[in-house]
Amino acid sequence: MTALNVAVFVLLLGAAACLLPLRKTTHAGIGLFTQLLATGAVWSVAVPILAGHAPVVGELAWAYPVGTLRVRLDALGAFFLVWSLPMTLLGGLYAIGYLKPYFRSTRHLGLHYALLNLTSLSFVLVYTADHALIFLLGWETAALAAWLLVIWDYTNQKVRFAGFNYLVSTHIGLIFLVAAFMVLYTHSGSWDLGSFGQWLRGNAGSERNLVFLLLVTSFGLKSAFFPFHSWLPRAHAAAPAHVSALMSGVIHKAGLYALVRFVFLIGKPDEWMGWFLIGFSALSAVVGALYTVGQRDLKRLLGYSSTENVGIAGIGFGVGCLGLSWGHAPLVAIGFAGGLLHVLNHAFFKCQLFYAAGAVYQATHTVDMERLGGLSRLMPWTSLSFLLGGVAIAALPPLNGFASEFVIYSGLFTDAPIGAGAKVALCAAGALLAFVGAVSALSITRAFGIVFLGTPRDRSTAPASEVSRWMLAPMGIHAAGVIALGVFPLLGFKLVQGPAIVALGSLPRSAVGVLQPIATTLTWIGMVSGGLVLAIELLIWLRARTASRPAATHVTWGCGYPSASARMQYTGSSFSADFGARFRSVMTILRRQKAPTGYFPDESYLITDCVDAVERRLFSVIGHGDASAGELSKRLHEDDPRVAFAAALLGIVVIAGVLVLTSGPLP
Amino acid sequence: MSRLPLGLVHVAIVLGMPVLMVGLVNRTKALWAGRKGPPLLQLGWDLLRLLRKRPVFSRVATPVFRTGAWVVLAASVLAAMIAPVLGSFAPIEFRHDFIFFAYVLGFARLFLMLSALDVGSAFEGMGAAREASFTAFIEPALFLLIGTAGIATGHTSFAGLVGHLHEADSFRWLALPLAGVLFVLLQAEASRVPVDDPLTHLELTMVHEVMILDHSGPELAAMQYAAALKMTLYAGLIAALLNPFDPVAAPLACVLASLAVMACVAVAVGCVESLVARLRMRLVPQYLMLASAVAALCLGGAGWWTRA
Repeated sequence: MTALNVAVFVLLLGAAACLLPLRKTTHAGIGLFTQLLATGAVWSVAVPILAGHAPVVGELAWAYPVGTLRVRLDALGAFFLVWSLPMTLLGGLYAIGYLKPYFRSTRHLGLHYALLNLTSLSFVLVYTADHALIFLLGWETAALAAWLLVIWDYTNQKVRFAGFNYLVSTHIGLIFLVAAFMVLYTHSGSWDLGSFGQWLRGNAGSERNLVFLLLVTSFGLKSAFFPFHSWLPRAHAAAPAHVSALMSGVIHKAGLYALVRFVFLIGKPDEWMGWFLIGFSALSAVVGALYTVGQRDLKRLLGYSSTENVGIAGIGFGVGCLGLSWGHAPLVAIGFAGGLLHVLNHAFFKCQLFYAAGAVYQATHTVDMERLGGLSRLMPWTSLSFLLGGVAIAALPPLNGFASEFVIYSGLFTDAPIGAGAKVALCAAGALLAFVGAVSALSITRAFGIVFLGTPRDRSTAPASEVSRWMLAPMGIHAAGVIALGVFPLLGFKLVQGPAIVALGSLPRSAVGVLQPIATTLTWIGMVSGGLVLAIELLIWLRARTASRPAATHVTWGCGYPSASARMQYTGSSFSADFGARFRSVMTILRRQKAPTGYFPDESYLITDCVDAVERRLFSVIGHGDASAGELSKRLHEDDPRVAFAAALLGIVVIAGVLVLTSGPLP
Repeated sequence: MSRLPLGLVHVAIVLGMPVLMVGLVNRTKALWAGRKGPPLLQLGWDLLRLLRKRPVFSRVATPVFRTGAWVVLAASVLAAMIAPVLGSFAPIEFRHDFIFFAYVLGFARLFLMLSALDVGSAFEGMGAAREASFTAFIEPALFLLIGTAGIATGHTSFAGLVGHLHEADSFRWLALPLAGVLFVLLQAEASRVPVDDPLTHLELTMVHEVMILDHSGPELAAMQYAAALKMTLYAGLIAALLNPFDPVAAPLACVLASLAVMACVAVAVGCVESLVARLRMRLVPQYLMLASAVAALCLGGAGWWTRA
């Protein structure tokens, strides 16, 4: 408990010191040093808890108006805390390289580092809160800090708009959360999460269902589940790269934490909740993956892939939830362990990809795929980092994305003694997950292939060169994590074992042993994949040994056309055109064009952009609401008495139906 | 027969059959066209000739291109070690190994597509885009098929659930549609008619061939062998599905039955290529989704059959 107090105090002190009139490098130093201290302090509490020690409990006497504030750090909170803080620290490190031009400008960099400190602080608050008000305080701190971090480049109107969009969305989520807490408070008479849990466990029924739906909506907005994601692509495209990375990889994981926390509090959820979570998450995964295919802005693409990945993790949680409601302990362990492992893995590879995208932006001043190309020769380390992250995000072996999806798949293709219908539904979800995997492989091939391979498409972009070590180092550390968690999956399993035991609750603890064979299998896969890499090396070595003459080089085969140019390369839009044509309702392509006409055509252009289908519909419904109402009344012939009679009859039927359904059959 | 000799037989089959399979397909097509056709082992001679040639690389190519072909080859061989060809046996076998199988093939495909994009060509990206989108449409079919077999047999390893399917009550209803789904998977993954035509000479209509336009010499040999290996792999899966013998109890009969089924599949592929025109590009996704739909029906059927 002392260590947690120290962490909070140090972070606050650091944030305050960052605002003092000092040199900019000192600000960065203070921010990073205090974060490092806080990380150490938090690790000293969280690591023993993950290793199996008892949860840490603390109390803060507070007179008015809320009473005693309780703090409790169990294995679930410790799991999230143990990587959230160091990743924020790495983000701060990356910022030194990324914001380098501002170190020589008049901007107040201290504020930026103070906000990063507050972000870390919000993690400590949210993940240890056992009191609804501390939880809300942390939740709000994270939201405001993230908003201020997003609008770093506030002079740009688009960035301000994206920032406000985010602010409004996150507060709509807050309204749902507060509503759920109000319902829980009126029933339990206390602000403690523990007493919320007592009421939730004892009172299955429509009010619990309402609370569940309110919470899922709020946490869905926080973690950008479809269809609550429309703030996300704008915010991720507008924010500095490390802020996008932290938002996508770390900050919005709080939504998933809270979701899992409340599922644990419910204890034995109804079966429909599990199915609802699986359906809702599968929808997010599929639509998020489809969205990534059409994007031409690299950071927007990565933002949408967060929607996809929280969906994949959510499928795992849904499986665990079903296990809880059926009382089937192995399924609980597999579902929650798989979901949580995916959350951790996603944090690793998503931050890495955003850092690489940020490096591309710093080197070329654009993240528009159609203007880039051939960066791998100019930026070898960045491109290697993006490739590693890409292989991981497409869940290909041997990297960490595969490890967690393997666990989730093994929950979906379970041989547990459950009903045939349930098995069919889970297998169908597995097939959807396979579709998502193939689509994300498509979009990452497209992103890497178009941006880093081939030749530069637009000579007017700045000539790129490799970025500074401040930016490469965090990428390298994340890459090491991505490889380590994939090849030695036991590391990840050790971390999620504690939360899995918490998930089991009253079910027999020994069920967590079901993870052991999966971990062994994955270790084995890691070794086989290592063998595969060696075999490839051997093949290439053999190939080099047996070649009698050095290979010749020549221009790319142009199918007989002698004067091919870089503009003729396949572009991102053309890569996704065929596939996108099948999913027009999701991949809305906006075309603005002026076709050449006449014998001496003047200036002509074609601009295509993949816009967010949800946001677009939202605005068009609001914008056309009046017009469509008028349209409807015209089509209905309101003055026709038959319409009035029909409407009245329908009303009576509905009222009677509601009465019968709520009070049983009439006497 | 213990695991080791059986494993050696498996390795010999999956490594040797690709050459013969391509030979059989080409011979069948030649017979339909009234020609004598190339020798059955022509692919082998072609590969040896390519291995001796000096490759020409594009000036734009990065290490991704140079390693790509070998990654594709090695990953395809690894996948072939997981795929059951002899009924309920595979050299590498563990719980839920089919996920590893699918994703190792995915790894190979990623590098195939990246090496296509690497040379900055106007055409090769087209092949990569088609490959990527066709895969997305066909991937659910494989998992639905595996789910069906898993529910019908209760096994969790690829070899177990494919090889033991013939013991399930529902086998006589499921065998034909599942074999059909695997056949479509073969056509899609191994780039055969009606999804892709390996003999087309127009770059605009190619899928697999356009991706390897810039490969030459040993790299081209690796790519061509890997493509033939993929066809063998799926033909082997059909053989394992239909093979009524147990590989441990009756090894000889099992191997002969598998080889016979694989040869039949090759002839069937050749017949389809001779008698059917390739589909228009726009219709290919529908064709592939049809396979997924059939597999989904099978899944529902298997659930219905095993209901309490």
